[in-house]
Amino acid sequence: MQHFVLEQALNYLIDQGDADIGSLNGKTIYFALDDLPLTLNFICTNNRIFVTTDTSSNADVDIKLKSNVFLSLLQGEEISDLLKQDKIIIHGDVKTAQLLVDLLKSAQIDFEEILSQYTGDVIANQIGNIARNLKGSSNTLNSPIEAIKDGLTSLLISPSKSKLYKNKNT
Amino acid sequence: MENTTHFGFKDVATEDKQGLVRGVFDSVASKYDLMNDVLSFGAHRLWKRYTVASSNVKTGDKVLDIAGGTGDLAIEFRKKAGESGKVILSDINAAMLAEGRRNLTNKGVFGVEFIQLNAENLPFESNSFDCVSIAFGLRNVTDKDQALREMHRILKPGGCLLVLEFSKTDNELLSQAYDFYSFNIMPKLGGIIADDEESYQYLAESIRQHPDQETLKNMVLDAGFSFCEYHNLTGGIVALHKGIKA
Repeated sequence: MQHFVLEQALNYLIDQGDADIGSLNGKTIYFALDDLPLTLNFICTNNRIFVTTDTSSNADVDIKLKSNVFLSLLQGEEISDLLKQDKIIIHGDVKTAQLLVDLLKSAQIDFEEILSQYTGDVIANQIGNIARNLKGSSNTLNSPIEAIKDGLTSLLISPSKSKLYKNKNT
Repeated sequence: MENTTHFGFKDVATEDKQGLVRGVFDSVASKYDLMNDVLSFGAHRLWKRYTVASSNVKTGDKVLDIAGGTGDLAIEFRKKAGESGKVILSDINAAMLAEGRRNLTNKGVFGVEFIQLNAENLPFESNSFDCVSIAFGLRNVTDKDQALREMHRILKPGGCLLVLEFSKTDNELLSQAYDFYSFNIMPKLGGIIADDEESYQYLAESIRQHPDQETLKNMVLDAGFSFCEYHNLTGGIVALHKGIKA
């Protein structure tokens, strides 16, 4: 449902004359955040933008990056710098990608808020991982709930001693 | 029986369905809005509002609302398309169209055109509309695939199709409650308020016969649309499918 908000905001900008998508007209841009379950197609057509989760059709440009890189991009980081650092992968015309980023910047949307809607699942997944890791390795814990509590505590207080942290780095 | 189709849970000759559906809507036309409010507890207005908000219709756009009935969507589209736009309210049923005309006039909405038409054979040029909508109408169409192809044909490249329709909930508890409500309470209310229990029995049956979300999505894509996604509303009791013509 978050992409509905995004679509409304972008089209409001276009309607108000605050954004010109003439150069994007006819382009479909695939956008994926590697660390979140978020893949979108931005379909720029008929002087409007559709934001859809249907990414089955081929796009003109593919943009893949992590959520923190995306946020830094919105805060002024240059695409060219991120490309050099391999923090962003773009297949297709970089100028088109830049136009979309510029548009997203000008929309002044609270993307951290939008992204937080997706991180819920990630956190839930991490909790699941902790439970699974501890279930397999610890015989001293009495219940899965205790295992989750202890796992989270060690992750928050001393990440380097956390089983989750260790598993991530092995 | 050869060349049959569904009319609720009954199999009927394909050529008979249109007349049977017409009979249902002739019967319920005058109480249609009241019944929708009662049966959906007013939720149909929210579903329709969400549909129009999803349309991305702009000032100057040309919009066709198919099976538009009493004109709920057309009124909202008219506000979005403005004086320079064009909104057509269409329905296969003359009685429903007359109700729509009366409703819009009573609400002081002018500038909407009214056309009686069959969704399977739209009397418009190809590539001529920015948006085509059909709310709670597709399940009554005999040849849904042909209707979707026609909607695709008349949309401009970049045009948007909106199909708002009853669908399937995957919540077992909600599904059971909804089944009980649909088959036991809804027809009775139809009998009491609209003096037509049978038509509301058909309504409940036709909802169950309608394709589920994924099936309808594939039908939209098969009709030629490049993109299609759906949003479940009220736990999937209703779904909004949005197709985009590239």
